[in-house]
Amino acid sequence: MVRRRVAITGLGLVSPFGGDLADFFTRLIAGESAVRHLATDDRPRPLSLPFVQCPAFDPERALGKPLASMMDRFAQLGMAAAFAAWDDAGLPRQADTPRDDWGCMWGTALGGTLAYEKGYRELWQNGRDRLSPLAVILGMNNAANAHISIQLGLGGDSVSHTVACASSAVAIGEAFRRVRSGEATVMLTGGSDVPQAYGVARAWEALRVLAPGTAETASAACRPFAADRRGLVLGEGGAALVLEAWDHAVHRGATILGEIVGYGSSCDHSHLVRPDAAGQVRALRAALADGGLAPNDIGYVNAHGTATAEGDPVEVAALQGAFGDHAPHLAVSATKSLHGHLLGAAGAIEAIVAVLALRHGAIPATGQLAGNLDPACAGVDHVVESREGQVLQAALSNSFAFGGSNAVLAFRRPAS
Amino acid sequence: MDSIGLIRQFLQDRLGVEASQVGPDTVLGEIGVDSLMLLELMFEFEDRFGVKLSEDIKPPATVGGLAAVMDGLIYRLKG
Repeated sequence: MVRRRVAITGLGLVSPFGGDLADFFTRLIAGESAVRHLATDDRPRPLSLPFVQCPAFDPERALGKPLASMMDRFAQLGMAAAFAAWDDAGLPRQADTPRDDWGCMWGTALGGTLAYEKGYRELWQNGRDRLSPLAVILGMNNAANAHISIQLGLGGDSVSHTVACASSAVAIGEAFRRVRSGEATVMLTGGSDVPQAYGVARAWEALRVLAPGTAETASAACRPFAADRRGLVLGEGGAALVLEAWDHAVHRGATILGEIVGYGSSCDHSHLVRPDAAGQVRALRAALADGGLAPNDIGYVNAHGTATAEGDPVEVAALQGAFGDHAPHLAVSATKSLHGHLLGAAGAIEAIVAVLALRHGAIPATGQLAGNLDPACAGVDHVVESREGQVLQAALSNSFAFGGSNAVLAFRRPAS
Repeated sequence: MDSIGLIRQFLQDRLGVEASQVGPDTVLGEIGVDSLMLLELMFEFEDRFGVKLSEDIKPPATVGGLAAVMDGLIYRLKG
């Protein structure tokens, strides 16, 4: 079986901080939180909760009016992130040669939920008897990858993955396999999601897993692994990576930002929302084996770390199970504490954090964890203050979804 | 607002096409109005004037052609 090396040659995102990729990582290292309090005027009861939005994102400016008007916000965020990653890779948006084996694998948990919700409001709340002809193409879950493939002329696979909070990690893993096997030369991959549809936010609220907070306390509302953690903070966003056959990247003189070397996936097959350490261990071991990595090769794990009561200690137990004696030395942080839980885009934004950590030798901390560790989450080297000047060889990014689907991605620092 | 005015406003709002660039001979396809956008434009027209265009209408190629279809329908309704 062909096993080509796979380079990461482009990274892009729509940052909740409003700046570019470098600004995003700088703020994470500084421990800055993008979480704010969201207050809406929705009926029958307004939303009032900590949330992460991208307020500086102007879809018309980023994409142009004609393109933006054909998209729901999740596709707009995805397209903007994809363009940023593509530009970062130094690839022309207009194909100069056929891209028949170039493709797009995208992750989204919610897809065009906002478009559907708008439709329901029109019909049931506003008494309209029909919807815009664009409603279907705005709402469809594969809208983001479809637009990306059209805009970049990608003639290979164009597939959306919906695997709850592991959606974009799965998309990245599947894209990686396509390039490694020789089926694809370049894959644009990542994810985007927008959870501020009223019905979606209220549904998460009903599960009792959302962290409470006010305008004064929202920025510190998400506290993974902390003794006083109260739950997760939802966020919108889009993040994208360009994966490229190593030789192709070298041949065209691309800057190689990192290497993706492993992907492991598994299913807990036990419960819809209660995570199981054994299932997570299988995904972790599969990713290490796939990447030819030993436990002590891993210098950093970007944890799934949602700050739920049940999830965090199970993830630590899984890391202990997979890493054994190395676990106490394993640097772990959960950056959801700072950028929120982007659901279907979480795996992509956190993969970017892992790649940047390797590239810059810097590990962002878990926000709000210093002096506040839950003893039930002890057993790994929790990063409570950002660490710079690190020599890191490899890193993992964990994504563990409702439904019991687990995905772990493994990255290596590019050789200097 | 008449049909041509509505078309101009739609093109400005949705596609960013300046009204001064839109005349009767303007080819819809050349300013970014594909089949989907044409459906949306007709939907907006129906909404604004409270009318229903025929399902089997032949898609007009120009702004003038589209305005003629819309004006004809309004005229018949008023008549």
